[in-house]
Amino acid sequence: MAGRKGFDIVVVGAGHAGCEAAAAASAMGLRTCLVTIHLETIAQMSCNPAIGGLAKGHLVREIDALGGLMGLLADETGIQFRLLNRSRGGAVQAPRAQCDKAAYRLAMKHRLERIANLSIFQGIVAQVVVKKGAAAGVRTIDGTFLPAKAVIITPGTFLNGLIHIGLHSYPAGRANEPPSVELAEQLKKLGLRILRLKTGTPMRLDRDTIDWTAFTPQPGDDEPVPFSYRTRGPLKNKVDCHLGHTNAATHAVIRRNLAKSPLYGGKIKGIGPRYCPSIEDKVVKFPERARHQFFLEPEGIETTEVYVNGLSSSLPYEVQREILDTIPGLDQAKIVRPAYGIEYDAVSPTELFPTLETRKIRRLYLAGQINGTSGYEEAAAQGLMAGINAALAVKKKQPFVLRRDEAYIGVLIDDLVSSGVEEPYRLFTSRAEYRLMLRIDNTDRRLMGYGRELGLVPDAVWGEYLAKQERIAKAAAFLKKTRVKTEAGDSLSLCEFLKKPEIRLEDVLKWSEFPGALSDEESRFLESETKYEGYIRKQEREIAKAARADSMKIPGGIDFGRVPGLTREAVEKLEKKRPTTLGEARKISGMTPAAVQNVGLYLEILRKKGAQRPPVPRGTGPDDE
Amino acid sequence: MLEDTIIAVATPPGFGGLGVVRISGKRALAVAGRVFEAKSGGKRPFPVRRPIFGTIRDPERRAALDEAFLTYFKAPRSYTREDVVELSVHGSPAVLESILRLGAKAGARLARPGEFTLRAHLNGRLDIIQAEAVNDLIRSVSLTQARISSRQLGGSLSRRIARLRGRLISLLAAVEAGLEFPEEGLRSGPAAWRRSLSAIVSDIDRLVLSHEAGRALSQGVTLAITGRTNVGKSTLFNALLEEDRAIVTPFPGTTRDFLREELVIDGIVFHLVDMAGLGRAAHPVEKRGIARGQRIAREADGLLLVIDASRAWSEEDERLVRRYLSRNAILVMNKTDLPGKVDRKKVRAIAGENPIVEVSALRGKNIDALRGAIRARFAPRTPETEEVILHARQQNCLQEALGALRRAEKLLAKRHSEEVPAEEIRAAISFIGELTGEVRAEEVLEEIFGRFCVGK
Ligand SMILES: Cc1cc2nc3c(=O)[nH]c(=O)nc-3n(C[C@H](O)[C@H](O)[C@H](O)COP(=O)(O)OP(=O)(O)OC[C@H]3O[C@@H](n4cnc5c(N)ncnc54)[C@H](O)[C@@H]3O)c2cc1C
Ligand SMILES: Nc1nc2c(ncn2[C@@H]2O[C@H](COP(=O)(O)OP(=O)(O)OP(=O)(O)O)[C@@H](O)[C@H]2O)c(=O)[nH]1
Ligand SMILES: [Mg+2]
Repeated sequence: MAGRKGFDIVVVGAGHAGCEAAAAASAMGLRTCLVTIHLETIAQMSCNPAIGGLAKGHLVREIDALGGLMGLLADETGIQFRLLNRSRGGAVQAPRAQCDKAAYRLAMKHRLERIANLSIFQGIVAQVVVKKGAAAGVRTIDGTFLPAKAVIITPGTFLNGLIHIGLHSYPAGRANEPPSVELAEQLKKLGLRILRLKTGTPMRLDRDTIDWTAFTPQPGDDEPVPFSYRTRGPLKNKVDCHLGHTNAATHAVIRRNLAKSPLYGGKIKGIGPRYCPSIEDKVVKFPERARHQFFLEPEGIETTEVYVNGLSSSLPYEVQREILDTIPGLDQAKIVRPAYGIEYDAVSPTELFPTLETRKIRRLYLAGQINGTSGYEEAAAQGLMAGINAALAVKKKQPFVLRRDEAYIGVLIDDLVSSGVEEPYRLFTSRAEYRLMLRIDNTDRRLMGYGRELGLVPDAVWGEYLAKQERIAKAAAFLKKTRVKTEAGDSLSLCEFLKKPEIRLEDVLKWSEFPGALSDEESRFLESETKYEGYIRKQEREIAKAARADSMKIPGGIDFGRVPGLTREAVEKLEKKRPTTLGEARKISGMTPAAVQNVGLYLEILRKKGAQRPPVPRGTGPDDE
Repeated sequence: MLEDTIIAVATPPGFGGLGVVRISGKRALAVAGRVFEAKSGGKRPFPVRRPIFGTIRDPERRAALDEAFLTYFKAPRSYTREDVVELSVHGSPAVLESILRLGAKAGARLARPGEFTLRAHLNGRLDIIQAEAVNDLIRSVSLTQARISSRQLGGSLSRRIARLRGRLISLLAAVEAGLEFPEEGLRSGPAAWRRSLSAIVSDIDRLVLSHEAGRALSQGVTLAITGRTNVGKSTLFNALLEEDRAIVTPFPGTTRDFLREELVIDGIVFHLVDMAGLGRAAHPVEKRGIARGQRIAREADGLLLVIDASRAWSEEDERLVRRYLSRNAILVMNKTDLPGKVDRKKVRAIAGENPIVEVSALRGKNIDALRGAIRARFAPRTPETEEVILHARQQNCLQEALGALRRAEKLLAKRHSEEVPAEEIRAAISFIGELTGEVRAEEVLEEIFGRFCVGK
């Protein structure tokens, strides 16, 4: 454990955020300690046994390209793999895997245990020790002090966690695990703005008590697509998921028992996510729907537990039982763990810099569910970024912040820190302005260079990446150069053919053979780049233009009232928020693009005039010490 | 931002005489070259600071819109210190609008109010105080307009645009829901989307068409008072304005140049122009004035054709009335306080559809009735349900949105994967958003979760 000099970095909580943070920080050469309540629950998937999906699968790829662990372990412990939206364009395809939960936990634990300068320590953190406005370590409830130069807090749903089943409730961080009360209270005292949020999880059933003939099997893909650039060898599907539906009788049971729901009974105050509605919510909000679908997903190979994706609920156990009774095939099923809802504290992410460091306390980083997000992938992505930035800060290096146009991670963190959250935040591809550019087939091109620079991408992976880029470049040139005659007699390049919506790369290569083999991944990349080309070029121009404008500094003493052509409302907003760059001004809600442009023009006036600029107020970013 | 080339009308709106379109920026010459064709056969590059004569042409339709002078001011010796091209045309607002539209198509961006001045300033030509003074002026003009237009419309245009935007967002939400939740078995599909797309497209189309009416609302309607000398035009001008603005004498040929004043009736701005009377010119100045008057009359949006009812109907009266018959005009029979010498029936027969109002400008008799007639005849028609697009900028945004939506329709028809048409719909929403404020991803998501039962 702690050497005499203490640690460089302490990470609190070994969930999906904490594990990535600890792994990244230690891989960057820092002495790191990961403190968590139970070593058995390291990287526990609290809810569904799946990783990935639209936007989330994109995140996992990005984590992987930056040297994170989630993708590699999901591939390793996956038991069913699907590429979603396979029939659609490359930008909206994303991998998802059903994982063996127990195997995932163990795989992560083993991997962390093998990292040389990472210590793992079991303990409940009660307090962040703050000295002179900066985090200096943590203290556990048994009084142990772990000194550190930076602290990353990732306690998931544990802060003042309160579990609801029906009208009963009890304090817990996750089913039957202790909540973090002291830590929650201290964060409040440190002046961080606290939100109360809510989420829920469905019941788990005993596989052997389900009549499987009543459900439609959903097999995995024939040729599974891995998350990770480091995964070798083919992935194997080992289980099927199954599709089922609720019916009128189910809905009647739910309606009859709504008063017993803590939410509809008014007991839950926290705000829940709309995109993970409980079955109660679905029935109430969409009364016209005769049925709702659900999936039966195995929780692993060595267990008979089955997760009922779609029946999340916080109704009492007896009602959950009654619900199952109405569904043919589940009427005999045994509930091994009841569904429950949980309320917990989170910190408003507007308290954070884009590095995930708090604005109020230096060297204190927050990542994962605590920042108002939900989902393993969102947590892991933040954990990775917090780990990297804490490490960079300790090393006194420039912070690492991704832009919205280069990664979903950039979209995620920017959304969080600049707009805050009102309900648990989940990433969607439609949150990205440049969706056609943020694809799984170009993630390495977008991000692996950064990962390499940070020291998180091993030589072998980097070497393969370079070789792949060379193949791609050759193939792209070949597609441009090679021309074929159409039936009408004109000559078209393979590239131009490939632009047609129904044409795939394999089709054009039938007309003219490419000397060299391309992987599926490489083909997908070439297809996307060709089919989206016009849009991509246009977006690149927009990005370049916006970047130039957004980076424009707004002097501290500027009088917005003197900016020509602004409405009074715009002036008031600007005076109130006092943005320091044009980019920040743009983000103020209600600012029109025209108003922002006027501010930009005015700034250029000031600059050209060489007017005295008052110094820009100093940020408290990790790099200024 | 200074890399854009900008274009705008540099003369005040609704001005009946000369109209100047100014283009500034690196591509000013290129943009001008797309719409202007020199009479002498288009020698380019154009000479510096020397006006050359030619025509404005729509490069797609090849139709000549107007005759024009092009003057090229080479950077830095120009108003903005950038390359500047000025196109001087006869100034009918419709022609000016078309030039802006063509210019925008050729790659220029419509300038924001005061932007030329800002650039002049940026490039060190004006100091900040001058720049602001100019800008204040520009702003006050648009404020008047804003007041007028908001009174006229009562915000219903923004409501209409907000509704359009709402429909686009729900369309996008339907498309996005399918992309984000591929496993939910959502039923709405390309056929339904194309139907709602084409409904939206035709609505935006209608809005774009209403632009003409909108232009009149925001820029005002030019009304020329014309008639023979000494019929009482200047007296009528003063009576309508309720102030002694024009000089009145008993002698013919009093008014030599034209006078222009704003007349507001029920919130609608009319630019009232008094000018030299038509008749035999005694003096070269008068001659000039008459010629000028005739041109203004030709280009005005409407005419008040004044006849002296106390004098016998002459051949000249007859010619005059016939000449302007086809125009949007009101026949004003003046001096009705004196014994009448004109046969009303005859005038009625000649006047055709144009209304006749009898007044005494001197005594102020029936002037209110004339105001009413002016409003009825010349006020831009704003049908209750149809909205109007006020400014070229709005028009431009709508047209961009329209373009994007038409591409989306095509992409869907060609069975492109939905994320591509979604891109176009998003672009359209953000163009519409420029009219009413930005769209946030959150709004689309709200719509998805409000309408579709998705998520586990
Ligand atoms: C009931 C439930 C339902 C959920 N439903 C969904 C859902 O429907 N969809 C979805 O996307 N996500 C859901 N999630 C969320 C998902 O599990 C989390 O988003 C994700 O695990 C968050 O990762 P994390 O790393 O932030 O925290 P967690 O994975 O929760 O990890 C937190 C870790 O911190 C440790 N810890 C906490 N406090 C302390 C302390 N004081 N000292 C030391 N260690 C501490 C804990 O032991 C734990 O290991 C649900 C979670 C729960 C509990
Ligand atoms: N009795 C009477 N006299 C009028 C009336 N309107 C104008 N006059 C007189 O007619 C004479 C000419 O009036 P102006 O208003 O100068 O006429 P005009 O058409 O502007 O004349 P020019 O500018 O010379 O073309 C003046 O003596 C006016 O007082 C009217 O309604 N009744
Ligand atoms: Mg006169």
